[in-house]
Amino acid sequence: MRQRITYIVHDPDEFNPDKLHVFDDSFSLVSVDAAKEHRLTFSLSELPQELYRVLRQCHELHIRWASEQAYSTIPPFVSHISPGLHAFFTPQKDRSPDLLCPTLKKIFGDSLECQSPKESFVNMPVLSGRFSSSSTSQFYQLLPSLDDLVTYIQQSLCPKSDFNCQAKASTLGSATYVDFDYDTISHALILNAFWAREPSEGSWTESISLQKEGDTIEVGVLTSEKAVDNEDLAFSGFLTVVGEDAKPKPTRFHFPSRHHPLPKSASSPPLTYATSFKQPAGLHPSLTLSFPASSLTPPDETCALHTYLTLPSVLFIDKYQLSDPLFLASLNLVFLRSISGATDLEAPDWVVSQWGSAALLELAIPPQHDSAPQDGDWEVSIPLHLRYLPPNHNKTGLESSATPWPVVFWACRAEEGSKMTVNPFDRVNLGYDGLFGPKTMFYHVPPADVGGLVERIDVPVLDLDRAGYVEWGTVAAVVLGVAWVCWKLGVVVWSDYKKDTVASREKEGKKKQ
Amino acid sequence: MVQFFSSAGTVFSAAIALRVVLLIYGSFQDAFSPMKYTDIDYFVFTDAARFISRGRSPYARDTYRYTPLLAWFIYPTTWPGSWFSFGKILFALGDIAAGWLILLILRSSGKMPLDRALKFASIWLLNPMVAQISTRGSSEGLLGVIVSALLWSVLAGRMRLAGCLLGFAVHFKIYPFIYAASIIWWLDDENVPTGPKKKSTQSKTMYEQVLGFVNPSRVTLAIYSLLTFSVLNGAMYYAYGWPFLQHSYFHHLTRIDHRHNFSPYNTLLYLNSSPTGHASIKLEAWAFIPQLFLSTVAIPLALAKKDLPSTMLAQTFAFVTFNKVCTSQYFLWYIMFLPFYLPTSTLLQKPATGIVAGVLWVLGQVFWLHQGYRLEFLGISSFVPGLWASSVFFFLVNIWILGIIITDLGSTRKSKNMLAGTRKDI
Repeated sequence: MRQRITYIVHDPDEFNPDKLHVFDDSFSLVSVDAAKEHRLTFSLSELPQELYRVLRQCHELHIRWASEQAYSTIPPFVSHISPGLHAFFTPQKDRSPDLLCPTLKKIFGDSLECQSPKESFVNMPVLSGRFSSSSTSQFYQLLPSLDDLVTYIQQSLCPKSDFNCQAKASTLGSATYVDFDYDTISHALILNAFWAREPSEGSWTESISLQKEGDTIEVGVLTSEKAVDNEDLAFSGFLTVVGEDAKPKPTRFHFPSRHHPLPKSASSPPLTYATSFKQPAGLHPSLTLSFPASSLTPPDETCALHTYLTLPSVLFIDKYQLSDPLFLASLNLVFLRSISGATDLEAPDWVVSQWGSAALLELAIPPQHDSAPQDGDWEVSIPLHLRYLPPNHNKTGLESSATPWPVVFWACRAEEGSKMTVNPFDRVNLGYDGLFGPKTMFYHVPPADVGGLVERIDVPVLDLDRAGYVEWGTVAAVVLGVAWVCWKLGVVVWSDYKKDTVASREKEGKKKQ
Repeated sequence: MVQFFSSAGTVFSAAIALRVVLLIYGSFQDAFSPMKYTDIDYFVFTDAARFISRGRSPYARDTYRYTPLLAWFIYPTTWPGSWFSFGKILFALGDIAAGWLILLILRSSGKMPLDRALKFASIWLLNPMVAQISTRGSSEGLLGVIVSALLWSVLAGRMRLAGCLLGFAVHFKIYPFIYAASIIWWLDDENVPTGPKKKSTQSKTMYEQVLGFVNPSRVTLAIYSLLTFSVLNGAMYYAYGWPFLQHSYFHHLTRIDHRHNFSPYNTLLYLNSSPTGHASIKLEAWAFIPQLFLSTVAIPLALAKKDLPSTMLAQTFAFVTFNKVCTSQYFLWYIMFLPFYLPTSTLLQKPATGIVAGVLWVLGQVFWLHQGYRLEFLGISSFVPGLWASSVFFFLVNIWILGIIITDLGSTRKSKNMLAGTRKDI
């Protein structure tokens, strides 16, 4: 097992190397206010049978989980995904991936609505040839916490009575996001956990020690610096290989990066976005993204503002509705670049086996040529539609459903694409990155911190407590209707019959006469 | 006003002008407003036509649930420029043609003076709802012309044409198959102008009755309609394969229809199709029995020989009223028969009844639309009692009106003046 732990110090002025201590087989730091990334690389042989068997069915598997709380980002950890559990998956050829869903449910909880990749996953659109290595299918579900993952690791992976392992596992419960990556080429499972801040005290005071022969731990304590090249990120700080280095080694480096923070602007408030549903939402809710209008200036003239939506199956986008330029413009949308997944316009939720759909939309921004700065909010509306949900009990005819905030970013042209992978902190397979060409940089707009990144919406459903009479009432109405019509028809037929007999009697009477 | 209806020219000019104004207004609204005048279905048709123009299947367009012929009819909409409106113009012309056929039938079979016939034809021709539906690009107007042509050709004794039209209509929209029952029943020797008239009041044997039933007109109609239907379906299946059958036909048999609509079955279908609903009886599977019994058996048998056009109205009315799904477009299916029924109906002869019927028919929809608005736009769970009760109320209103229609039809004697074969009058 290899470990790499990176601390990015929030305030370089408050940090000094005296806070770091290097010992023979351990490293410790005292009250360092920093974001932390902990990356563990397991070779397949180190994994339990259960996981090994699942991974052997995967050509590629990338799992992303993000917390529902907004957090402040710091380079290089600036990319966002919608809160919840995402899985990006390519099956191994000629192997049926029957273990994936059961294992995901075992690890992340039984509430996961994962039947099989075929039924529950959706195919990812391939818009860009270069990312041919990106996964072919996608799964998503809201998942507020990683408690089940922590329990799974503690019970199934940690050796019994290894309290260190148990304690380490429990720290995952407070992570801001966690990534798992596996592919057949590297033959290794990488677990990447990120904390935007130390969760309880606000600063890190901890000791990192080697557990086993042959393990390596690399610790970096870095501060972000201004890079010379716009496409680069630069850092300086200290690197330590635990067990090898006697003291932290000063370092300074830079690399081209795919993900960037927004450029700082002195004049306008920081650009963020807030997500809400227009009320009343009805069966056609409109998801509104609002931005401070004065801050909506692209980082570069090649940039376009985008949002990537991850919609649970109860909500869907009608792509045909989003094809009219006038309609799009009236909502401050430019166009729907991609949509995949459960997009059936008529199906109720209970016949949709897929998890939902994902969409990439380009958003309009306020006109830039005006010299006068824009005031107020810039609102973008995304028209959505609700599927019918099953009738319920005891909820007065409403069913609460939750949907994650989308992510918002500027996508800009980069000069160099291929070198981005040399970034030791590169993050791909986020759903939207594969929808862009290779030479694309993402400037991420952080979500506003206004109480969570999940929107709830009440879906009106039939109230079973009040629907007792629907069945017999309908039958009674229809029976009454049929009876009435038959009665009227009967009267007609009867009077015809009577007239006919009278007529024939008359005729016969005439004949007799 | 009297003068207005004295000339076919003025009425048809007004009907055309109404549609031209709506078309122009619609193109302006489409060009300048994000809210479109054009019906969503029209985008479905034109998208499907575009797929066809690229050599692909029209079913590549989601929710295209029609015969590929419809997309072929409006093929010119794929040409650049204002050709996009071609389909709407075609549908509007279909409307006008249907109105013209209605007029012909009223004049010839109904023996109506011109101004009176024009007044009743105007129920269709100058009806803003009809004009709006076709100019918004809904294909129901096209169906109107097919069905009115079917009726005209039957009354005019042109059985081969009638058979072709019937086969085509069923291929186009399934439901006109109900007319087969009434037309076949109506086509007895009395109503067939060319057939040899054997006047006999003596009771026939069973064998003679069966043999008598199979007259040349009925055979011609059956053969030509089956042939047209089979050839069209065969050709479409050959060209577009399984998706054609799936989307044009099987979809309508297997759809759940859980979304709210005017049908009285709607809430129950939503309940029964969902995993939480406990259906004690599979009612949705039984729902077609009263519908088909009334519209294809009981009503044709009891009424067709009295007055074919009004029987077709009663059939359509029953079919739509008892349907598992019902939207306002379906009302167009029976509105086109009103000009044949209203002249002799209680609804006009006793204005009080007529007004009450009209008001209740509208009120039923208003109640329902109000509940639908609460659900659709305010997000209020108005399924029960709101939507359910208003759809049942609307259903019962329709039943009452259907009862009036049946009683009115029943009191008509088998009238020779509705006889066909008066082509020279046309």
